[in-house]
Amino acid sequence: MSGLVQILMDALSLGGLYALTALGIGIVFSVMRLANFAHAELITCAAYALFALSGQPVVMAVAAAVLLAMALAALTERLAFRPLRKADPATLLIASFTVSMLIQKLLVFAFGSRVKPIDPLPMLSQPVWIAGAQVSLLKIVTIVTCLGLLLLMMVFLRRTSVGLQMRAAAEDFTMSRLVGVRADTVIVLAFVLSGVLATVVAVLFAAQMGFVQPRLGLPLVLVAFVAAVIGGLGSLPGAVLGGFLVGVTITLLQALLPAELRPFREAFLFGAVILVLLVKPDGLLPARGMKDRV
Amino acid sequence: MIAALLRVEDLVVQYGRIAALNGISLTVAPGEIVAIVGPNGAGKTTLLSAIAGLVRPVAGAIDFAGVAVIGQPLERTVRRGIALVPEGRHVFVGLSVLENLRIGAVTRKDRAAVAREIDRFMQVFPILGARRDEPAGRLSGGEQQMLVIARAMLSAPRLLMLDEPSLGLAPNITERVYALVAALREQGVTVLVVEQNADRALRAADRTYVLNAGLVRLAGASAALAADPGFEAAYFGIGEAAA
Repeated sequence: MSGLVQILMDALSLGGLYALTALGIGIVFSVMRLANFAHAELITCAAYALFALSGQPVVMAVAAAVLLAMALAALTERLAFRPLRKADPATLLIASFTVSMLIQKLLVFAFGSRVKPIDPLPMLSQPVWIAGAQVSLLKIVTIVTCLGLLLLMMVFLRRTSVGLQMRAAAEDFTMSRLVGVRADTVIVLAFVLSGVLATVVAVLFAAQMGFVQPRLGLPLVLVAFVAAVIGGLGSLPGAVLGGFLVGVTITLLQALLPAELRPFREAFLFGAVILVLLVKPDGLLPARGMKDRV
Repeated sequence: MIAALLRVEDLVVQYGRIAALNGISLTVAPGEIVAIVGPNGAGKTTLLSAIAGLVRPVAGAIDFAGVAVIGQPLERTVRRGIALVPEGRHVFVGLSVLENLRIGAVTRKDRAAVAREIDRFMQVFPILGARRDEPAGRLSGGEQQMLVIARAMLSAPRLLMLDEPSLGLAPNITERVYALVAALREQGVTVLVVEQNADRALRAADRTYVLNAGLVRLAGASAALAADPGFEAAYFGIGEAAA
């Protein structure tokens, strides 16, 4: 029983991080059809902001990290992606790789390539006991934060006028403009929201890892892309579902595979992904009525 | 003479090296219903797209209420008072019927008035009211057409442009759509409608322009054009019929 609780907590906390990352990627993709690999650097930069403000009050450090990630997301949109808005998807993809590499190299230049220790949430380091299982408080906070933020995002998208505009733009960008939705506003907002989501992931992930380094966000984003594809690229509920599924699968593989096969758990994961896509090529929750970008 | 609400002069639109519009001029006066008819490929949809800002002309001018609109972003054209209901309806299939209506009023601040108008549309079209929380993609073609016209009207446009509103609809549904268009004109809305169904357009419109191969071949009062022996030749681009 305690082992089951442990696995469940691991799966939900990892799945929550992937879900938030996939949602951040999915929000931008849904309005711009841009697979933004530079999302990894939003996470990394937010984590470095926490590192730079180590010793300051947690609230202040997190607020600074959020502001930095939001500003960086908006800046990359304005400088790198807006001029390419009418370019083909391949050009956009290459641009996102370029932005990603540029920011990574700037981080190396500023902070060096070595890992730096970080403990942004020291108050969450103690364990708690649930049904006989020892679980870190950080994992519980991660789960609660991820679920709470996903709920907030759902309320934002479903209950506010701006959320409605984002959903309309995600489905048919040209038609949304024809009813008066402001393209620039919606796209910048999507980037800014992705920055907020990236910061939350950065705080929780850096706290779990205990260090930062210039490629911190990359593995998360690579797996989150897989999650977004499984869920249905462009579908926000799909991104969340895909994130949790991938998190659960990785945790189960880690727990159930024989020790000698565990190093190959990603191979099993991607094998499962291929199987899912063979059966559901548009993902588990395909985006409804998604039209090409302008 | 009443000043034109919309004035198009010598408009030329090209797709690559192919000219879709070859120097079209037309006017629409406030409160008029004006029809653009012509066969497939005549340039009708391109004309509406150019007015809405979807395609950029290579020459010519478009003035709306005395202001040049070429080169303006799509959303600014809407905010100036031009609403386009494109061919194929284009409801937001993943949004509910009510959300489709609400997004139509995104340019407006007067929420109470918008809520009243949405209620009124739901009374005029009870099916929209009955299915207000269902995804719009589940509506029939006729219901979707009503929905997109209502959605466009919620932006409080001064000019409503309809692209092939009868396309794919049963005759009785087409009549309902045109009854709605007539009712909108009674409320003071100016309508520019593009139709392949020339007979239906001639009955609905005050004036009609006949387009073929990107040129205006014939223009005039709809009643006069309906009786004009040169109408068919102009419609099909036969001979030298000219505006």
